[in-house]
Amino acid sequence: MQALLSFDQAPPFAAPFRFFLTAPLFALLAGMLLLWSGPELWASRWTPAALALTHLISAGFMLQVMLGAMIQILPVVAGANIAQPLLLATLVHVALTSGALLLAAGFLTSEPLAFRLAALLLGSGVALFLGAAGHALYGVASSNPTIRGMKMALPGLGMTVGLGMLLAMALAGSLTVPLLQLTSIHLAWGFVGWSVLLLASVAFVVVPMFQITPPYPAWFTGRFAGSLLALLCLWSIAAGAGWEWPAALLADAVLLTVAALAVLTLQLQSRSKRTRFDATQHYWRLAMRCTLASCVLSLAANHLPVLAEEQEWSLLCGVLALFGGGLSVMIGMLYKIVPFLVWLHLQNLGGGRVLAPNMNKVIAARQIDRQMYAHFLALALLLATAFWPGYFSYPAGLALLLANAWLLRNLLTARACYRQQRLKIAIRAASTPAEQGPR
Amino acid sequence: MHTITNFMANDHRSCDHLMVAVEQAVASGDWELARTGFGRFQEAMQDHFAAEESLLFPLFEQSTGMYRGPTQVMRGEHAQMRQLLAAAAAALAEQDADDYTGTAETLLIMMQQHNLKEENVLYPMCDQHLADQVEALLPELQKQLTGSEKVPT
Repeated sequence: MQALLSFDQAPPFAAPFRFFLTAPLFALLAGMLLLWSGPELWASRWTPAALALTHLISAGFMLQVMLGAMIQILPVVAGANIAQPLLLATLVHVALTSGALLLAAGFLTSEPLAFRLAALLLGSGVALFLGAAGHALYGVASSNPTIRGMKMALPGLGMTVGLGMLLAMALAGSLTVPLLQLTSIHLAWGFVGWSVLLLASVAFVVVPMFQITPPYPAWFTGRFAGSLLALLCLWSIAAGAGWEWPAALLADAVLLTVAALAVLTLQLQSRSKRTRFDATQHYWRLAMRCTLASCVLSLAANHLPVLAEEQEWSLLCGVLALFGGGLSVMIGMLYKIVPFLVWLHLQNLGGGRVLAPNMNKVIAARQIDRQMYAHFLALALLLATAFWPGYFSYPAGLALLLANAWLLRNLLTARACYRQQRLKIAIRAASTPAEQGPR
Repeated sequence: MHTITNFMANDHRSCDHLMVAVEQAVASGDWELARTGFGRFQEAMQDHFAAEESLLFPLFEQSTGMYRGPTQVMRGEHAQMRQLLAAAAAALAEQDADDYTGTAETLLIMMQQHNLKEENVLYPMCDQHLADQVEALLPELQKQLTGSEKVPT
C-alpha cells in the first residue's frame, strides 16, 4: 500500500491532456477520409477505407481518450499511482499516435511496411501502458466492482492489440492466419473485453455519484465483469475452434449481457435527481441507447441469416457501436474531465490565494451544447449513409468534420484558459515575493 | 455490517441529496428555499469534515503512524471544498444562477473524487486498523454528524 502515501499525486496536466487533444484530430482525419473515399467506402465493412475509418476511430480517437483518462483516474479510484506519469504519457502517446496513423495508412495503401510498423508501435505503446498500469495496480485489493472491472479490462486491451498485431502481420504477408475468424475475435475483444468492461467499471461509479442516481444493484456489479469475461473467453474458444452452435449461443449471451448493462444504466439515469440534464448526461444516454440498439441488431442478425447477409446491417451495427456508443460516451466524459482538471491544477497552483475559474467558465455550456448538436447531426447522417451512401456519405463526412473541429476548439479553449490563468498566478507570485510562488 | 466505510459513505450520500435539493431550488428560481437548503448542506459538509478531522483521522494517524499520508491529503481537499462552498454561498447571495451552477458542478466533482478516495481506500484502511475501536467510534461519529442525520434522504 505504498502508493497510498502519495495518493494525491495527480499526474501533471500535460500527461492526460495530450491524449484528449489528439483524439479529435483522429476523428477529423476520419471525416476527411469519408470525403475523400465517398460512397465507395460503404460498399462493405471490409473495404480498405472502411477498415481505415474503423481504426481511426477505435485505435485513434477511443484508445487515446481511454488511456489518457486511465492515467488520470487510477490514482483516484484505486489509489494506484503510476510511476513517472509524464514520461509514460509521452512515450505511449507518441507510439499510439504514430501507430494508429500508420495502421490507417496500411489499410489504404496495402503497404506491408506500414502494417509492420503499426503493429510494432501500437504493440509497444500498449505494452508499455499495460506494464505501468499493471505495476500500479499490483497489490491493490479488488475491493469493489470498479477496481475489479478495470483489472479485467487491461488484459482485454492486451488481447485486442495482440490479435490486432497478428492480423497486421498477416496483412503484411509475414504470417498466415485464418483472417475472418481472427478478425471477429479481435473485434469482440476490442468492443467487449476492453471497451465495455472499462465503460462498465467507470459507469458503476460515475452514474450514481455524478448523476445522483440510485446505485447499480450489487448482484449486477458483483457479477458483471467476471461473467462477461468468462462468456467472451468461452465464445472465443468456440469461435476459434469452429463449433458453430455453441459459438452462436455464447455470442447471444455476450450480447445480452452488454444489453443488460445498457438497459440498467438507462433505467438508473431516468431516476437521476439532477434537475437539468447537461451535455454529459445526454451523451451518456445516447451512448447507452446506441449500444443497446447495436446489441439488438447483432442479435437479430445472428438469428435471421437474411439480415446477416445484408451489408447495410453490419455497417449500421458498426456505426451505432463506434460513433453512437464509443465516441458519444467519451466526448461526454471529456466535458467533465477536462474542465475539472483545469480547475484542479489552477486551484493547486494558486494555493488558495488566486481562485480558479469554475468549470463552466473553462468551457462555456453553450459551446458544449452546440458541439453536441453537431455530433447528433453527424451520427444521424452516418446512420443514413449505411443505407443510402450515394446521398449521405459526403454530408456525413462534413458533419463529422464540423463536430470534431468544434470539439477540438472547445478543448483548446480549456487549454487557453489554463495557460492564461497560470500566467496570472505567476505574475501575482512574482509581484508578491513574500508569498510562495506556484510550483 | 457496522463499518466505518458504510457509516461514512452513507453520510456522503446524505450530503449529495442535500446538495441536489439546492440545485432544484435554484433551477426553479426559489432563492429563499435555495438559501435555506444551502445552509443545511453546508452544515452537513462542515460536520462531516469536522468529524473526520477531529475524530477519525487522528485515530487513524495514531494507530498507523501515517501522519503525512492519506489523511493529510484529505485535509487539503477539505480546504479546497470549503473554498468552493464559500464561492457557492457568495453566488447564492448574488442570486447568480450561472455562477452557482458552475461552482456547484465543480464542487460536486471535487466531492465525488474525494469520496471515491475515502470510500475505496481510506475508510477500508480505517476499518482494518481501527477494528477494535469501531464499536465505540461509531456512536461518537454519529454524535458529530447529527446535523445531516435529521434530514431525510
